[in-house]
Amino acid sequence: MKNLEKLFAELSVQKLQNQTRRHFLMDCVSKVGGLALAPLLFGCEPGTSAKAPTGLNLSERDLNPLAPLAPPFMGKAKSIIYLHMAGAPSQLELFDFKPELAKLHDQDCPESLLEGRKFAFIRGVPKMLGPQAKFSQHGESGAWVSDYLPHFSKVADEVAFLKAMHTDQFNHGPAQLFMQTGSPRLGRPSLGSWVTYGLGTENQNLPGFVVLTSGGKTPDAGKSVWGSGFLPSVYQGVQCRSKGDPVLYLEDPSGMSRDMKKNVISAINQVNKEDFEAFGDPEILARINQYEMAYRMQIEVPEVMNINDEPEHIHELYGTKPGEESFANNCLLARKLVEKGVRVVQLYDWGWDTHGTDHDGSIDMGLRNKCREIDRPMSALLLDLKQRGLLEETLVVWGGEFGRTPMQENREGKVQGFKGRDHHVDAFTMWVAGGGIKKGASYGITDDFGFSGVDERTSVHDLHATLLHLMGFDHEKFTYDFQGRPFRLTDVEGELIRKILA
Amino acid sequence: MDFIVPLFGRFHPILVHLPIGFLLFGVLMVFLSKEKDSGHSQSIQLAFFVGSVSAVLASISGFLQYHYEGFSWETVQFHLALGALTTVTGFYLTWDFRKTVNWTSFRWKSFSLLVLLLFTGHLGGNITHGEEYLTELLPDGLRRLLGDSTDAEQGLTLPESGWEDLKYYENVVQPILNSNCKSCHNPRNKKGELDLSTLEGLKKGGENGVVFHANDAEKSELFSRLVLPSDDDDHMPPKEKRQPQKEEIELIKLWLETGASFEGTLGEARPAVKLLDPFFERLEVPFYPQTELAEVSADSIAALKKMGFFVEPVHLGSALLKVSCLNFPDFEDADLSKLSSLGGNLAYLDLNDTQISGEILSQITAFPNLTVLKLNSTLIEGKDLATLQQSPNLKHLYLNGTQINPEDLAALESLPALEKVYAYDTPLSGNPAVKKFRFSLETGGYSLPPIPSDTIVY
Ligand code: HEC
Repeated sequence: MKNLEKLFAELSVQKLQNQTRRHFLMDCVSKVGGLALAPLLFGCEPGTSAKAPTGLNLSERDLNPLAPLAPPFMGKAKSIIYLHMAGAPSQLELFDFKPELAKLHDQDCPESLLEGRKFAFIRGVPKMLGPQAKFSQHGESGAWVSDYLPHFSKVADEVAFLKAMHTDQFNHGPAQLFMQTGSPRLGRPSLGSWVTYGLGTENQNLPGFVVLTSGGKTPDAGKSVWGSGFLPSVYQGVQCRSKGDPVLYLEDPSGMSRDMKKNVISAINQVNKEDFEAFGDPEILARINQYEMAYRMQIEVPEVMNINDEPEHIHELYGTKPGEESFANNCLLARKLVEKGVRVVQLYDWGWDTHGTDHDGSIDMGLRNKCREIDRPMSALLLDLKQRGLLEETLVVWGGEFGRTPMQENREGKVQGFKGRDHHVDAFTMWVAGGGIKKGASYGITDDFGFSGVDERTSVHDLHATLLHLMGFDHEKFTYDFQGRPFRLTDVEGELIRKILA
Repeated sequence: MDFIVPLFGRFHPILVHLPIGFLLFGVLMVFLSKEKDSGHSQSIQLAFFVGSVSAVLASISGFLQYHYEGFSWETVQFHLALGALTTVTGFYLTWDFRKTVNWTSFRWKSFSLLVLLLFTGHLGGNITHGEEYLTELLPDGLRRLLGDSTDAEQGLTLPESGWEDLKYYENVVQPILNSNCKSCHNPRNKKGELDLSTLEGLKKGGENGVVFHANDAEKSELFSRLVLPSDDDDHMPPKEKRQPQKEEIELIKLWLETGASFEGTLGEARPAVKLLDPFFERLEVPFYPQTELAEVSADSIAALKKMGFFVEPVHLGSALLKVSCLNFPDFEDADLSKLSSLGGNLAYLDLNDTQISGEILSQITAFPNLTVLKLNSTLIEGKDLATLQQSPNLKHLYLNGTQINPEDLAALESLPALEKVYAYDTPLSGNPAVKKFRFSLETGGYSLPPIPSDTIVY
């Protein structure tokens, strides 16, 4: 009798020990929480959230989430190369020529500009800072480009400038997220993810969305700027490196043969497929596909990421040096990737945050050095795409996450040792080139100091709407159902910038 | 206390449901009763009576609503008349029920009350929700069958030449109002008591009087409301609605500033062409040939995909296909037969980096709608190009990285649709012997010569 009691006691202790946090949570969900959670969970069911874009053959997409798809309308472009200058370059030294600002140089900033404004670092009444670069007009379009970008000024006729861009975030992280995902908060899919989700990718041996970074650091906002948000994770950007192994851990460990690898992968995928049949979770498909893609990528990625075989004149054009991590190498890679059918290539170059706190962050020196690093490569990229007939099918976008103030930064109320400008949301310049873009156009006018847009202002959502349009989407109809409502890249805003369309 | 009467009018939307409920119930009971004395007579009588009394209240409140809320007589007349008729019929049935001996005929009378009720209700619904409330969700085909117009309000369009002679008001201002304001400011739905769908309505103004003043745009609400900050309550159209284009607003402003004439022409107002540019009707020449073709079956497309081809329509719903051998690098001449069934559906063919020879070009004629042909980095030769002459729709031809010579291109001159030829990295690149052609020729070979600043580090 005594023994039996002992046995029961042990059994219940054992049972309690087996109760983990997971069991507890599971009970919560299935019993009490189930009621309250029902509407939320409904949004996660396959078939509602994993719904493919309209008109799509579901079963094909189910098996291969990256299968190519026709766009809803005839898009002018089929790929995007987005050059993001992380830190935000100064429009006042590059494209937005303001002779009036020069006259105010070193004078106190007029009260009218400061009223009701908040700046990231400027306090009190700062001094105005005249343009530090020399400007002249270039090409048939007469585009204003400064002497900071001597090579780019020769190709300025190829691009359309947006000179009165504005945003509403004055810190790098949120502003980068806003620029890339349409929302300053975490959790939304990036532009690249939306496009890859909508169009899939043509080359089944390469990722659909590749990210390359240079300048020594990744963007302040972290990897979420190329994240897939609530879209299935296969649509997120794949970060590749231009130095060393292009994709980490892509090589087989020594002693593992390709056949063996194949067997391992097909065994894993078999198990995963059974799991998918049981649970219907689209993430499992994503995982299956990633295994398969990784296997195929092992061959193709090292090939496409190798710039050694490019002819000498191409290296000269871009200013590339194989083996280093540079914006130039990344530009050349971007062309190679697009040529191979990659849908979106996103380049982040870090180091544009010119506050004037040190030499590198100065408008008259550090910024020039950064400009020299991108001037030749980005001009080369345009020319190289053009000569191959790829520019007509590719959109090239250039810009930072915001602009910079016409005032000299005075952090903590003190004059800085170097010339610098603070973050500025009301006016900055971006440019777009390629498929469907009107060459040599300039849209947007800022006031005499380059402080605010006075005409033809364009928002981040407007830019997104225009890019999606050129890829063959109506940004108002391109939605994804999540948590019970359809989401758009442009949220409830965004107007096509028709004036820059060819 | 003079708010009481209009307030009672606003109860119409609630009150109408009483007669609907009671009368319907009465009719239902009539039909459930096999004969007059089936034990339901009291409920039937009560239902008809209460229904009719509430119908009186509904009619009165309805009339007051019409009177105080700016509905036009044309919109409400039939609803009102039928409502009154329903009320009378209701009372008649209450009275008739006691005396009636012919149950069948009474049932028919009740049935007509039902019909009246439905019609009145429907007309009422049309007034609040708009006439297209029910039909707008139907498929287009069905809507046309019902005589509904399916195309949305046409916006402003202008001819590129001859716009000077158009009437500024009639051909510019009114179309702008039609596409941006009419949905809320029309005779049926007069928000702010303002009808912007006609000249008379515009002249009459809204609840706060005249909405435009010649030569003073700032004072004219027709303009000033449009440029208020979008979160201002008075901003028009309300911020969650589609906003007019900037140029449309400017055109309204210019019309006001130049005298707001209903007769003047657009030319007299001297608008900047920049303002008109977005509205010029430009015939966009479609890139691909416009032909009526049957779509290739999903099965054949799936089969091609299995073989390694990339196959997609040029856009959703198009029968024309894009085919690429991006993932089929071993493609050789014999493989073209796999595509032969596509025929006229093939519009875009990418054979870059494949193992084809120039011979394949003679078979390209099997695809009469081929518009883009990519032959980069293949073994085709210049002499083979002559066989392409049978491709009437070929627009873009890619020959980068091939061995073609300047004299070979002459054969392409007779291709009627050809616009662009890419021949970068060929014997043509940087070759002075290349002459000008009817199509544009890109031979590339760009360089960015070194400059001193390339090496200056600051
Ligand atoms: C979505 C519906 C909607 C649209 C579209 C709309 N309006 Fe209105 N409008 C209203 C409402 C509601 C009012 C009344 C409330 C108010 O006075 O603000 C109003 C009032 C007005 C008034 C004031 C009338 C008066 O006398 O008080 C003017 C003027 C006006 N609208 C002009 C326009 C113009 C011009 C457009 C097109 C560019 C337009 N509206 C488009 C809903 C709309």
